[in-house]
Amino acid sequence: MSTVDATAGWDRLIEHDRVHGSLYTDPAIYEAELERIWYRTWVFVGHVSEVPEPNDYVVKSIGPQPVIMTRDKQGEIHLLLNRCTHRANLVCDAPRGNSSAFRCPYHGWTFSNTGRLLGYPFNSGYDGREAKRELGLGRVARIGIYEGFVFGSFAEEGPTLLEHLGAAREALDRLVALSPSGELDLSAGWLQHKVKANWKMLVENETDGYHPQFVHSSIFSVAQSGIGELYGEESTALSRDLGNGHTENDLRPEFRRIGQPLGWFGTTPDRVPDYVAQLEAAKGVEQARELLIDGSPHVMLFPNLFIAEIQLFVIQPLAVDETVQHVTAVQYKGAPDMNRRMLQQTIGSVGPAGFLLADDSEMYERNQRGVHARSPEWVVLKRGTHRERLDEDGHLVGDATDEVPQRAIWRHYRRLMEAGA
Amino acid sequence: MGVGEVVSEFAAVAVSIDHEGNGPRLRIEDLKTGHVGYLDALELETLAWLPEGALHPLLDPSLHRWRKPAPNGGHH
Ligand code: FES
Ligand SMILES: [Fe+2]
Repeated sequence: MSTVDATAGWDRLIEHDRVHGSLYTDPAIYEAELERIWYRTWVFVGHVSEVPEPNDYVVKSIGPQPVIMTRDKQGEIHLLLNRCTHRANLVCDAPRGNSSAFRCPYHGWTFSNTGRLLGYPFNSGYDGREAKRELGLGRVARIGIYEGFVFGSFAEEGPTLLEHLGAAREALDRLVALSPSGELDLSAGWLQHKVKANWKMLVENETDGYHPQFVHSSIFSVAQSGIGELYGEESTALSRDLGNGHTENDLRPEFRRIGQPLGWFGTTPDRVPDYVAQLEAAKGVEQARELLIDGSPHVMLFPNLFIAEIQLFVIQPLAVDETVQHVTAVQYKGAPDMNRRMLQQTIGSVGPAGFLLADDSEMYERNQRGVHARSPEWVVLKRGTHRERLDEDGHLVGDATDEVPQRAIWRHYRRLMEAGA
Repeated sequence: MGVGEVVSEFAAVAVSIDHEGNGPRLRIEDLKTGHVGYLDALELETLAWLPEGALHPLLDPSLHRWRKPAPNGGHH
């Protein structure tokens, strides 16, 4: 960290339309990011539907930090550090379970699922019980929940979750609005994909509208999908800076032009009649039609939650050149016919034999190797600078293939890194 | 009469209804050690009504199982 602080200002590494390659490769910068981004801002951890019953728990993470998300007997959600307060063993190992208390496997200390130390074997080895109070599990300082999405922040103070989400909270609203019950069920389980690449390669790519026609041409042609054209030079779709590093590929202008309900999902209402009927009953025919035309959001919530229409990706950095993507299918509570299709599409595109994520991952790893080259030193993010503009809400937008989102991500990144200096 | 196994990453027990006595009781077998304990209907009803966390003091390992035997040789 000190080398970064002492020498280059962040403004020398991050310019308006280009960034220095060392930002992806320098271990000292990665360490500084952990402190100033991952252990300070709001980071997505999990969804309340992953712990539906009292005493349910799931093993989660905030960057490299191991976290347990629990629901106590009263129904309250807790974010605890998965580290025994004795000699640091992982307390929970199973990805999920139901238990009001946890027992560390190393020496048998027990903890309640709210983090309290309950006891240890052979307590005559410790004089008095006073230390017990201080030896509860570590906890994530702040926890915020919006529409069932659980975020954690290691900073005791700072912007609220709603301030952090800002305009991007609308993406979560839109996602939930497509569920007839108004609730999501994100308990389908998470696939994990590890890549040898810096986490920011992934964040930048999620709302990069320039690459799909190239990188994903094979899956688009096999699936006879029209999505590729939405990311073309003729497209009326927009790239958008939602503020605070959150970015969007807004395909609604195209879907509205075409006016086909469920066109965004590559299907028609007669294929999922129960779902459409449920949504119409819940929202009214007119609004349901609008929702089904507009489709699901494509939004990257900085720094780690990517809402990819029917999938959610969680980005977890493990090292400067190693990142895990956790993927699950979006499921609407109580809409089995639609859920089955979303699950199938998820498995097809990002499952073990899927094309979509494999194609992207190949690009991440090639980028990571390329960025080590001695020359040129810069990554160019100029695309569409001459045509970026403000929309009616005051957000910076560009054409579908422009690098408005990438510039927005780096502007926010620089603010965070400078604030921590 | 076998009922089933209740297993987590922390513990594994088999529970069944035992009819050896004058009335039925729940038999709990710790599958890791073979150690067996019993709970009768009144004890179980009490457990069902326990408020949140009331069982937690019993989860202190030093309370019964993992402690030095008392000087008189007793274990409780
Ligand atoms: S490390 Fe957990 S009990 Fe010793
Ligand atoms: Fe050993």
